[in-house]
Amino acid sequence: MSKQTKLQPGERAFNLLLLLFSLGIFYEAYRISGPGFESINSPGAFPIGLGIILMLSMIVIITGQLRKPKPDTQGALDEARQFLSAHFPLPIVVFSAMAIGYLLLLESLGFIISTLLFLFASMVYLRHGRLVSSAVIAGVSIAIIYILFTLLFQVYLP
Amino acid sequence: MTDSLAYFLMSWTDLSLLLLTAAGTFAGIYIGAIPGLSVTMAVSILISFTFAWDVNDALALMVGVFCGGVYGGSRTAILLNIPGAPSAVATSFDGYPLAQRGEAGQAIGLSTVMSVIGGLIGVLVLASTAPVLSEFALQFAPRDYFLIAVLGLLLVGSLAAESLSRGIFAAALGAVIGLVGMDPVTAEGRFTLGSMQLLGGIHYVVVMIGLFGVAEAFFQLHQLSVKPVRQNVEKIIPSLNLVLKFLPLSIRTSLIGVIVGALPGTGGDIASLFAYDHAKRSVKHPSRPFGKGAYEGLVAPESANNAAVGGAFVPMLTLGMPGDAVTAVMIGALVIHGLNPGPMLMVTTPHIFWFVVGALVLANLFLLIFGLMGIKLFAKVVELPKAILIPLILVLCVVGSYSLNNSMTEVYWMLGFGIAGYFLKIFGFEMGPIILGVILGPLMDNTYRQAMASVGDSTPALLIELVTNPLSIILTLAIVLLLVSNLPLKRMIRGSENG
Repeated sequence: MSKQTKLQPGERAFNLLLLLFSLGIFYEAYRISGPGFESINSPGAFPIGLGIILMLSMIVIITGQLRKPKPDTQGALDEARQFLSAHFPLPIVVFSAMAIGYLLLLESLGFIISTLLFLFASMVYLRHGRLVSSAVIAGVSIAIIYILFTLLFQVYLP
Repeated sequence: MTDSLAYFLMSWTDLSLLLLTAAGTFAGIYIGAIPGLSVTMAVSILISFTFAWDVNDALALMVGVFCGGVYGGSRTAILLNIPGAPSAVATSFDGYPLAQRGEAGQAIGLSTVMSVIGGLIGVLVLASTAPVLSEFALQFAPRDYFLIAVLGLLLVGSLAAESLSRGIFAAALGAVIGLVGMDPVTAEGRFTLGSMQLLGGIHYVVVMIGLFGVAEAFFQLHQLSVKPVRQNVEKIIPSLNLVLKFLPLSIRTSLIGVIVGALPGTGGDIASLFAYDHAKRSVKHPSRPFGKGAYEGLVAPESANNAAVGGAFVPMLTLGMPGDAVTAVMIGALVIHGLNPGPMLMVTTPHIFWFVVGALVLANLFLLIFGLMGIKLFAKVVELPKAILIPLILVLCVVGSYSLNNSMTEVYWMLGFGIAGYFLKIFGFEMGPIILGVILGPLMDNTYRQAMASVGDSTPALLIELVTNPLSIILTLAIVLLLVSNLPLKRMIRGSENG
């Protein structure tokens, strides 16, 4: 009695992309030491083997999909919509944008200010307000991180 | 004999050495536990500022950090499902489900005791059988190392992933990432896409932080409204009955750990996976199903990865070959202090061997004390609301990846791997095989080429060696058995019967 799980929305497209990626890896491996397979002991031999393994395992996965029931969607557009709503809800989109903004600000504003801003803004957003406690937690956290990493672990901060 | 005992007890009787071992163990636990900080990184940093120290002081501190760090990785594996180190990957399989049930305190208490038992067994084996084991390891040919790495990847692939094909894909993907950069033999670029920056390769810690830290943080955003499981940390010290119940399994898996740890290149990561697999196959009636919070699934990897520490020192001290990444760094430390790790080390400076053995035993005792003391505070971390914890995890990931090379490039790589890991996780690809592939990929490439060179680049000659050399036969058979046992034979037979 094996449990036959349904395919997830977007799973077929993702696996096809991974198959394309595997083909790309195989091509890149084939180009090592000039185009072509030089010898069984060349720098490209093991990478070519990995490329083949990637392609074969992905073909097995895609073949296995054929036995699974399709997701309950109506057309590609609906499948894309379901995929986005299941895996990219608003908190993930907003938090990702904040994280990218934080990395971009790190170099111009420095670690302490940008981290303080990121921690404060993301905590306020994820906790739906609570300005004062978020500010206190962000401040205390940055102080602990600074002491721990610069004084104790002697690590350079961004 | 008297001299050996005196060297063994040196770190116990000298107050400064005692304190350095204690401080190292304490720091190691937290370094191992904090996502983004690795024991290898910590020991590398320690070398830079213990350069001018006495060799015993430096070794005491590093041995403590090593022991504490291997254990510390299990804490975040249990509490956050983020293994602090590759050796704690197997710990998360059952440790995290235990924390989700609110039994984090009991899980950490048991893992502490089992880690110490494993660690002490490892040291005992190191002290008593080092010469024998090193001679055995000397007989290993490159093809055997290659086979062991293949076996390790297949094991983690079959254990951690939804299906073996997904596990193999993930492991091969990791190996490709591990090979990015300059070929160590010919200096040709591999998978660099013509980029000069990629010639230096991608640091495996960046991949680890991205896949385990960032991807997990994004995943946890799905459960913002879920109230954190209140962890039961009242009963921390496991009962004697519980310890005795798991003692035989702990001893068995410790022995697996010390043997695997003694093989050069294979450390606690593979040891813990072998041990987990052993527990899964040998324990008929686990406390709960494996993967759902079985204590056996916690005892086996935790005993093995700490036992592997003792094992890793065997080839390092007797052959000058690193047992794992940390001992590779420690070889550098010994050389800096004017010592020559290798067969002559035990002849010319036997005190170093016995000093390390003594410091390892002491570090394990400190591990027991610190491990059982700080759990209440540590378990509070998971009671923190996710809305506070997730931004903090991301900041720690940024600091950890930046500190590797003091460069933002690593930070962007880390974020890239985090996003890729999030997508892979959505569709059932596990992170464990990827990271082990990253670590073992270059080792496999190297040993494969050595094996081919040893038979004059003749594939038939290599195949003949695989089926004629006793050790290679055993390893090849193990790989074949593992592959066959994962084939859907029943379904295939039924399919052919149905026409």
